[in-house]
Amino acid sequence: MKYAYHLIVAYLTLHVGWYILREKSFWKQAGAGLVLILFVLRLLLIQ
Amino acid sequence: MIDGSSFFIFGMVAAVSFFAGRDFVAQRAEEAIMPGPGLTSMRQLSDYFPPLRGTAGDTGIFVFEGAEAGGNVLILGGAHPNEPAGYVSAILLIENVRLARGRLFVVPRANASGFTHGDPQEGAPQRFGIETPQGTRFFRLGSRVTNSIHQWPDPTLYITPTGQKLAGIEARNLNRAYPGLPRGSLTERVAHAVMELIRKERIDLGIDLHESAPEYPVINAIVFHENSSDLAALAQMALQGEGYEFRLEASPQNLRGLSHREWGDAAGIKAVLIETPNASHGRIKGRPSASLVVDGRDPYYVKAAGLGRLFVPFGPEGIPLRHRVARHLAGVEAVLGALSELEPEKAVGLEGLPSAADVEAQGLGAFLRPPRL
Ligand SMILES: [Zn+2]
Repeated sequence: MKYAYHLIVAYLTLHVGWYILREKSFWKQAGAGLVLILFVLRLLLIQ
Repeated sequence: MIDGSSFFIFGMVAAVSFFAGRDFVAQRAEEAIMPGPGLTSMRQLSDYFPPLRGTAGDTGIFVFEGAEAGGNVLILGGAHPNEPAGYVSAILLIENVRLARGRLFVVPRANASGFTHGDPQEGAPQRFGIETPQGTRFFRLGSRVTNSIHQWPDPTLYITPTGQKLAGIEARNLNRAYPGLPRGSLTERVAHAVMELIRKERIDLGIDLHESAPEYPVINAIVFHENSSDLAALAQMALQGEGYEFRLEASPQNLRGLSHREWGDAAGIKAVLIETPNASHGRIKGRPSASLVVDGRDPYYVKAAGLGRLFVPFGPEGIPLRHRVARHLAGVEAVLGALSELEPEKAVGLEGLPSAADVEAQGLGAFLRPPRL
């Protein structure tokens, strides 16, 4: 169960990262960056 | 491929995640307790209930043994990790006392899991500092209950091992989980382990150190099991002589799961719980901070006291941690004194305990070992 959760969060994290790479507007990138912080923290701190 | 702006954003994400993550994980580290020369051995709670080994509920027990035979006393701090006076009083005992007679078991972090997180939406500080002559020592301010990472989910209704119905979150409250269950939740297993310690070490008296909010009626109080009424009354008289007013509260028969009820009922030992007033976990307080924990000053409590809403006097000088710890130490000394008067063969000879007057005058830092730098 824990690994399934890891995979889901990892997928969403990569997805937000990919969005930042594709996006041209700086402010849209910055907004996605804030969301990415939450996903990275969740990914690293899952217990 | 990676342009300048996304490179910059990824860099910021990495930096913020690193510092925020480090801060969060720091909550799980236990600060060092540096026992004085009086310590005779260290044990773990799991020594009394092996299934607890390796779990977040396992915690250290500091054992002090006297040369002469006497009684066995258990002192619990940190059953509620958001009540710092109980925790700091236990540490002060560990770092200062020696035993001439009997045996003393001190558990400073009774709910170890509760120390690894904070109460949600409280904005409470993660730690508070106490100045010692050689520098500041920091201590964790935790949550009232077990970390939900370690015990999840909460039931809608929690039924304690002896049948009291409570709100779901109380399932993670160690002081509602006695006498515990060997196959219950983590909190119930911790409570069971404490009962096993009481039984296997033939504990005669248990003292549970707590704090409550100034607007809560059970405050500056000694709560006692009915088997300990003479003990509590004698202790109260001694405390009055020292200038510490304590009210006596009999443990209600129909309020289950609490230490002062179940230790007495299930193990037959004398049981008391000592409460001091802590503004930092009350509901009327202003902005929470480490200084509110340590200095205990809060203008809203002063106002509430003026309106007659509190059960303790509360002036602009506040109720500092040093005063609350002094009260606990005076309480412990008085209860032990009462035990040796009532049952001399079960006396515990405690030496080196800082006097309440000295703690009030010199501050906590004078009785704590220097920080490990
Ligand atoms: Zn408490």
